[in-house]
Amino acid sequence: MSIIYNALSGAMAAQAGLAATSQNVANVMTPGYTRQGVLLASLAPYQAGQLSAGSGVAVPALIRFSDGYKSLQMWSAASELGQRTTAQPYLTQLEQVMGDEASGINSGLDAFFGALNAASVDPTSSPLRQQIITAADALAQRFNSLTQVLSNQRSAIVQQRNITITQINGLSNDIAELNKQIAATQGTGVNPSALIDARDNKIDELAGLVALQVVEQADGTRSISLRGGQPLVVGGRAATMSATTNPDGSQTLQVAFASEAFILPKTGLGGELGGLEDYETKTLLPMIESIGDMAEQLATAVNAQLVAGFAPDGTPGTPLFEYDSSTAAGMLRIRPGVQGSDLAFSTSATAGGNSENLLALIALRSSTVTLPGLGVVTLSDASTQLVAKLGMDSQQNQAAMDTAQTVRNQAEESWKSTSGVNTDEEAINLMQYQQMYQANMKVIAVANELFDSTLALLG
Amino acid sequence: MMRISSTQYHTTMNTALQKASYRLEDILQKMASGEKYSLPSEHPVTTVRMSRLYREEAALDQYRDNISALQSRLTQNEVYLNSMSDDMLSVRDLLVWAGDGSNTSEDVSAMAQSLQPLLDSMFYVTNSSDAEGRYIFSGTAVASPTVSYDATAPVGSRYTFTGNTEAQRVAVGPGVTQPSNVTLPEMAGMLNQLERVLTTLQTPGVNVNDPAVRADITAAMDSLDEVIESISGRIAGLGGAQNILATLETSHANVSLSNKQAALTLGQLDYSDAAVKLNGYTTAVQATQKAYAQVSKLSLFDAI
Repeated sequence: MSIIYNALSGAMAAQAGLAATSQNVANVMTPGYTRQGVLLASLAPYQAGQLSAGSGVAVPALIRFSDGYKSLQMWSAASELGQRTTAQPYLTQLEQVMGDEASGINSGLDAFFGALNAASVDPTSSPLRQQIITAADALAQRFNSLTQVLSNQRSAIVQQRNITITQINGLSNDIAELNKQIAATQGTGVNPSALIDARDNKIDELAGLVALQVVEQADGTRSISLRGGQPLVVGGRAATMSATTNPDGSQTLQVAFASEAFILPKTGLGGELGGLEDYETKTLLPMIESIGDMAEQLATAVNAQLVAGFAPDGTPGTPLFEYDSSTAAGMLRIRPGVQGSDLAFSTSATAGGNSENLLALIALRSSTVTLPGLGVVTLSDASTQLVAKLGMDSQQNQAAMDTAQTVRNQAEESWKSTSGVNTDEEAINLMQYQQMYQANMKVIAVANELFDSTLALLG
Repeated sequence: MMRISSTQYHTTMNTALQKASYRLEDILQKMASGEKYSLPSEHPVTTVRMSRLYREEAALDQYRDNISALQSRLTQNEVYLNSMSDDMLSVRDLLVWAGDGSNTSEDVSAMAQSLQPLLDSMFYVTNSSDAEGRYIFSGTAVASPTVSYDATAPVGSRYTFTGNTEAQRVAVGPGVTQPSNVTLPEMAGMLNQLERVLTTLQTPGVNVNDPAVRADITAAMDSLDEVIESISGRIAGLGGAQNILATLETSHANVSLSNKQAALTLGQLDYSDAAVKLNGYTTAVQATQKAYAQVSKLSLFDAI
């Protein structure tokens, strides 16, 4: 009789194998699905005796083909990629705006100094003086529109950061929920593989948003913390991340877990949050400061030179530019109501045709300004150097992004190599388990015939 | 030997196609605009070089505009000075004629009458002004006339020089300026002398052989000679200035040409290179697509 029971166990094992194979084949296109197989173990004989070969086959468990290290690699690659990818659109937009020859600050400065130069041919000519006023106004507008672009980028970063934090909180909660469910399956005996896959997918998404450290616990749950150690998920509980806006416009992030609150450091966050932070502190804020400083120093130098001279009617010179750092749209303006006849090109109150002050104004082109990150540069070269620095930052980010993409692709490939489904392999398994089933059925048939023969003996 | 999962083929194909489309789009954009680099990040150092070339070009353009405006202004000055010089030579001829001892007082009175319009002409030309009413020969005091006439003052001091002798400088090169004006401080003195001799010659019963009259005529002619010489010197100076400007213009034109060539070398797309790349990328895409078509047909499920 053990023949029938052996064959029965074989048939049931084959069925389990076929079920696992069918699950794999059904999920061949499911992203993040870890393939499973059956673990077959032969059973020791129940009955004593030298002639007892064994008691069939058992399926003690399903095998889940996963490599924890490869998952960790994928997640760290996701963080690096997220960091680089987030900053790139901002960098490219700023490059396009600032690097455009026709609409940049450089050609505005060219036009302004060109108008001053043209007036030196005939310093008292009204149309030439009016041209200077127009060129000054156009230059101020270029500064303002660039400042507006920078200010818009800053608002966009704040928005994106808030959205990212909401996503992080959502994902943390989901992971905590899944952790609970996975821990529960240890008691109920349900196969947690699908739950684990879902949780790992969420961890992958989260890793793209912020850099993580993941630790597997004994009960099957995963604890997640930030790079600095602040906890995001512990067992079935999730932390909440929030951002508060400071008076200077920057944001401070904090993580609240249970009754503790941790203020997050400015740097080293990784993922999208880190990318936004990097871009804001290393590129955007210095650029805002540089453009503001350049506008201020230009306005101060031009105004000081004008005030030191005399208008054609003999009155002392009046300023041309006004600088106001509080608004983005009106940072640099020409003084309202200024006219060509107010421009003080003369160094003497009595000689209206004297152009010495005008020549001094023209020479301001090679005067120096001090900008953060660049040091002392000439006024005509300042914008060029700012654009060059921006170009180099963007180039570095693009190179790092390409590398991060390659690393991520390889990590994914490596993960799939272990956990991905190969349909050819499954087809072979299908064939083998089918044959195993058919062979075991045949054994049952033979055992039945033997039994019938034995009964026939008894009549 | 690494195990390949079924979705690996599709992922590889996807990545390859995306990369190829990105490269194709980039090349097409560059071919459309003709520029080698569309963004500063592609080559920051070249961006800096080209930006500096453009700045220099803009400055040179302005200098060249100034030079041509200045050249026409200097020509205008020369025309006025020539007119004054002609008038002065006519006055000199009249004075020589008047100094002939055989003239009667009616003769010299008639000559003096022909002298007046020449005097006025010289006075008006000295006080030439531009379209906005600024005086050309007043130096930098362009609001006040070069020579003022006060009819209440005694003869011989009615004309005064009310301009100054400062130069108006025009920027024609980096740190290079050229004066654009001519000042005429000597005209007032000469006009006074001429008015004095004119009044003398018009007094009824004047005798040309009177030593006082002779002295007046001689003084006027001496003054005239001095001013004719100084005006001629000024005209020569204007000629010299025109030569300097022509040289500067040629120099600027050469620098500008070399800048433009440098900009082309740095920034212009090499079309033959781009066409080859375009070909290469297209072939790569086609090959990948054919390979994928072959590979994706393979499946064991078709055989069992």
